[in-house]
Amino acid sequence: MSELQHRLHTLTLRLDHMGMRVEQALVDALRALRKNDEQAGQAVDEHDPIIDREEVEIEQECIRLLALYQPAAIDLRTLCTIIKVNSDLERIADLAAGMGRRVKHLLTEKVSLDEYEEFDHLAQATTDILGRTVRMLSRSDVATAKNVIQMDDLIDKGYRHLVQAVLKQEDRRIGGAGAAMTVINLAKALERIGDHCTNIAEDIIFLQTGDIVRHAEAFEKKP
Amino acid sequence: MNFNEVQNDSSPVIVARNFTLRYGQKAGVKDIRLEILPRRVTAIIGPSGCGKSTFLRSINRMNDLIPTTRAEGFLGVNGVDVYDKRVNLANLRRRVGMVFQKPNPFPKSIFDNIAFGPRLQGIRRRSRLNRIVENALRDAALWEEVKDSLGRSALALSGGQQQRLCIARSLANRPEILLMDEPCSALDPIATSRIEDLITKLKDDYTIVIVTHNMQQAARVSDQTAFFCLGELIEFDDTKTLFTNPKQKQTEDYITGRFG
Repeated sequence: MSELQHRLHTLTLRLDHMGMRVEQALVDALRALRKNDEQAGQAVDEHDPIIDREEVEIEQECIRLLALYQPAAIDLRTLCTIIKVNSDLERIADLAAGMGRRVKHLLTEKVSLDEYEEFDHLAQATTDILGRTVRMLSRSDVATAKNVIQMDDLIDKGYRHLVQAVLKQEDRRIGGAGAAMTVINLAKALERIGDHCTNIAEDIIFLQTGDIVRHAEAFEKKP
Repeated sequence: MNFNEVQNDSSPVIVARNFTLRYGQKAGVKDIRLEILPRRVTAIIGPSGCGKSTFLRSINRMNDLIPTTRAEGFLGVNGVDVYDKRVNLANLRRRVGMVFQKPNPFPKSIFDNIAFGPRLQGIRRRSRLNRIVENALRDAALWEEVKDSLGRSALALSGGQQQRLCIARSLANRPEILLMDEPCSALDPIATSRIEDLITKLKDDYTIVIVTHNMQQAARVSDQTAFFCLGELIEFDDTKTLFTNPKQKQTEDYITGRFG
């Protein structure tokens, strides 16, 4: 194994590890929300800088490898994929941290997520998609990547259902606008996590095939 | 045999069909099928001994200088088989110029180096020679540096200037194709960068085929790249595709340094 391949392998392992940390952050944030555990929510937020530092270090190593080795073909695609996935994972961690911070909003607004079974569905779907994304990442598996892209549709649907449910509750005047906003913000964060997982899945397809599948429809219908 | 008949803009200038060149019994290149389009830069890469220089030197029959070489199949320039017995070699090499690894100026003045080819073609008038020399030096991005010292020995120039002088010497013959056999391997990074800029500029008017060991250089300057291995053409594609997503595993292994 050449020095470049050795360093790329190490980077891939670091990215896998980061993926697991991010998955854990989401699981912890959701648990804190369901239990109204403000301290646990705060812990997710406090953990976020560790992921931020890791993101920066991974990016610095990618830039060093680009400058020193001018990689080509699979090595180049691997580096480009790591740079992009790294950024998506960090954004997911930020969203999980934001959800952790919102536990105290639930308490101040006196909102109980028990009122929304749609939230549980959305949370479950988001945990599933992120879990699959993290496993797909370590195996660079195109079939799972395609599956992840399809799963995002379910999350978008779940998000719409939850927003409708919140608005219905609002009509019945249970809780104030602040309460509705808190739940909608949580739903939006989960929906964004689904989008980031889709980005990662698209990057894995690029890594394995060299095809950029993002916005394919924009290229099919050239004006 | 006329190499001057430029066909339409998109028809290939150089065509190899099942082209094999042997040194005695051993094949230097085997069964090459390749089409090189006009006014493009085509890079040939591959490990040492893979046949890339052999193929390049076949295009203007430089390999004829090595005894026991034998060509099979078809290798054409503008549709004319360069290995046809009726081919006039001087005419072929005027149309297909060559720049070598080490700059090889003649031990003459800068002016006489450039005027050498045109004089061989019978051009004697000083005013015409002046014009040809100036144009060739301008095209090779050397004019500004030497215009006040054309009588100076070419050997007094720096390595990078000497290489540009050799390019100018080729251009003075008004070739259609320029073959470059590792033209920067003896140059420092700044001189290399000037030659690379020059290659990019020259492709507006010339078809360029360059052999290089420097893969970053191939990626930077060429439009298409051919990867040779053990005398065979393994892959030929747009440079951007070959360096980001090659189709053949052998190509991938070579350009990522896994073998070669």
